[in-house]
Amino acid sequence: MRYTWSCMGHQIAMRGISKAYGSTVANQDVSFDLAPGEIHALLGENGAGKTTLMNILFGMVRADAGEIHIDGQKVDLDGPQDALDQGIGMVHQHFMLVQGFTVAENVVLGTEAAWNLRLSHKEVENRVAESARRLRFEIDPHRRVSDLPIDTQQRVEIFKLLYRGADVLILDEPTSSLGPAQVDDLFATLKALRDDGRSIVVVTHKLNEVMEIADRVTMLRNGKNVATAEKGSYDEQALARMMTGSEVHEVTVTGTESSGRESIYRVQDLVVHRGERLHAVHGVSFDVRPGEIVGISGVEGNGQRELVDALAGVAEVESGTVALDGQDITAASALDLRRRGVSAIPEDRQSWGLVLDMSVADNLALSDVPAGRFSRRGFLRPKAVKRSARRLLEEYDVRPADAGLLVLALSGGNQQKVVIAREMSREHRVLIAANPTQGVDVGATEYVHQRLLEDRSEGKAVVLVSIDLDELLKLADRIIVLFRGKIAYQAARNECTVDDIALAMAGTPGRGAEITEEEAAEPAAAAEAT
Amino acid sequence: MTAGQPAALPPRSRLEERLRSLTLPRGITLWSILRVLAAAAATLLIFAILLQLLGSDFGTAFNAVTDSAFGNSFNFGQTLMMASILMCTGLAAAIPFRAQLWNVGGEGQMWFGAFVTIGIALNLPKGWPTALTIAVIVIGAMVAGAVWGLIPGIMKATVNANEVITSLMMTFIAIELGTWAIDGIWPQGASNETESVPVLMPNIWEGTLVTWGLPLAVIAVVVGWAIMNRTKLGFEIKAVGLNNRAAEMNGMSTAKVAIVTFALGGAFAGLAGSIFILGINSALPAGFQLNNFGYLGIAVALVARLNPVWIIPSAILFAGLRVGSDGLQASTGLSTTVGQILIGLFVILLLAFRLIRFSYPEAAR
Repeated sequence: MRYTWSCMGHQIAMRGISKAYGSTVANQDVSFDLAPGEIHALLGENGAGKTTLMNILFGMVRADAGEIHIDGQKVDLDGPQDALDQGIGMVHQHFMLVQGFTVAENVVLGTEAAWNLRLSHKEVENRVAESARRLRFEIDPHRRVSDLPIDTQQRVEIFKLLYRGADVLILDEPTSSLGPAQVDDLFATLKALRDDGRSIVVVTHKLNEVMEIADRVTMLRNGKNVATAEKGSYDEQALARMMTGSEVHEVTVTGTESSGRESIYRVQDLVVHRGERLHAVHGVSFDVRPGEIVGISGVEGNGQRELVDALAGVAEVESGTVALDGQDITAASALDLRRRGVSAIPEDRQSWGLVLDMSVADNLALSDVPAGRFSRRGFLRPKAVKRSARRLLEEYDVRPADAGLLVLALSGGNQQKVVIAREMSREHRVLIAANPTQGVDVGATEYVHQRLLEDRSEGKAVVLVSIDLDELLKLADRIIVLFRGKIAYQAARNECTVDDIALAMAGTPGRGAEITEEEAAEPAAAAEAT
Repeated sequence: MTAGQPAALPPRSRLEERLRSLTLPRGITLWSILRVLAAAAATLLIFAILLQLLGSDFGTAFNAVTDSAFGNSFNFGQTLMMASILMCTGLAAAIPFRAQLWNVGGEGQMWFGAFVTIGIALNLPKGWPTALTIAVIVIGAMVAGAVWGLIPGIMKATVNANEVITSLMMTFIAIELGTWAIDGIWPQGASNETESVPVLMPNIWEGTLVTWGLPLAVIAVVVGWAIMNRTKLGFEIKAVGLNNRAAEMNGMSTAKVAIVTFALGGAFAGLAGSIFILGINSALPAGFQLNNFGYLGIAVALVARLNPVWIIPSAILFAGLRVGSDGLQASTGLSTTVGQILIGLFVILLLAFRLIRFSYPEAAR
């Protein structure tokens, strides 16, 4: 045996699981099976009940009805610790790591080693390093989690569970913030873990991921089972049809709306710092014409977030300019930018886009209220807020269309629709959209794409930051790749190749690159260059 | 990502969750009222044990407390007047707290309000109509409180100075200023307090000492409610308190909210100061500090879950305990410090009963 602890996955059977949150039914008589040594994809749109089902298996949520059997034995999971005792571990979409702690501290947190006063810090780190080596996990136990890139943090999460003896791993939307190369790494890791006999559930809404990694797929729709199928018995189109219950119509960009028009939005030599991070924005320039979508991509942590924050008026610009119609708007506040017609869909809707504990109506009015709409002499007009909300809910197909509900209670896709309704219903000339389809189901993704293209045909200037290459190739007129805060590649869509883009994302400057080979190779050089 | 499940929330530490659930209004539910009652019962139990140890009879003590707080209209009037003060200092805490700004300086803002009340009252020309005189003084006191609150607010907004520390330090300064008023600026001579003000709020309930101070405080609560629930400003205060990043992203200014909420809170505390001088005591006494009206306002606000309307019953509850503990001394001979212990116990137990959560999803909410 290669490892000191058992790595035999379990036979898990969930039967007749039902769960409701108030009037919202999350799971209704759902069944799910997991065999040892398989990767089982749990597929469904946002709000289909996938996460709820897995939270029930992880003991975090109690089912209203139904049974869970592990290796034929009926179990009652009351809390995550019970699940962990049974060898079941879960990696949430939002990681549960203590940012200020080291990797080793996070791994042992809550285990006996964290309490044993006789163990020195060094011994704990050695133990963690030892088991990491045995599992062929490349992680450095001494590093602080907050210093690690997102994919490494995810690796720490997975390792943490293995360290606690989990043989059944549940990963909730594990690829939602990873670039293509990182996804490949993750999948390789998962396959290796499966080959060692562990069972893995991957919760996802991405069809290509199911095709690539799953041995079996179970699909949910509206909280109910749709189908369970073995690898080889389905293809992507079949899955898409089953998942949405309808044919998905691919949108493709036709013609160039922007040809021959003067650019209205101009970013010049923009430099943005964030804390002591090296990879902020180090002199990026581009311009956007009306009716043009400029796509910006890159592996997370290469300056896209800081760029978006600066363009949206919430991060300070060190130097360089942003101009709209020749007017300098570099120093404009978020409020000012909106008045001038710059709308922004922030990347992390839960942190930046929405106030989760406020109602849907209030969230739809979130930026209009400070701008003076919906109030008269300082007094709010709640009826006007409600009325406008009801109209937007219908127009943007938010479900449930209940303006009084807390945004917290909506599914991810519907939360995103609230943000989109707010930002796109306002008069605007420029739209900054940061990963607008991240963590959003197929139907909603299609919807967002349609809206972006509408903006394009209405002659708006759109900056689309996305980690999803397919999305960019489908929508963008021009694609820019950032690496270490500089442009590593830029080309019109019809001149782009996936290989070149992938190379640029990985740090090989391509067409139109403004970053030099040396800067790309030496992070320090790029930092000092500013 | 299904409706209402905890995993859809961004990760927050347990402590943060507890702070949120403690400070953010989720409405007053039957459950929360039950918890307040449970805390009261536990307080009484511990208090009974304490009295046994001190050799006093619990029954007598309990009757003394309830009788002197609510026993007859005169006593109840005393409770109401003290509640008026606590309603104002409660608002002084509640409004900044809604924006997640911890104004613990209500005490100092109230002191400065009282200081300015005396200053204006002693120097206004005689012969003005009473209503006009009182209006001028009250507005002056509210402006004074607002100025005292503005200093920590502006420091928070500009250099991100910790508002807990700055508002507390401002309190120390205000108390010294009040002490100076008693000893040096407007000494009365014989007794250890300032000169009495020449104008007082008229009485509104015969047979009691209830004055205009009570309706003024109730109006203040209504204004506080309207600001939070019916104005653009209230909307921004709530949004900033619940998610300051999203608020900024959507064009709100957290700096503006910090300055405005501190000024508003200070104004309400200043009002408390003027109600005390014009409506209750006519002078600033040397022992004023022992009342801790400003600090008690924080407890009043927390029990009301920062909801202005619930500040009224919450203030009456605390005022009853406070007045009752004075009666305790009168009828049983126990020191007033025993009464202070009663209030302290109650606050601690309230915190304990609010902090307990029974399942994970509830804790995550």
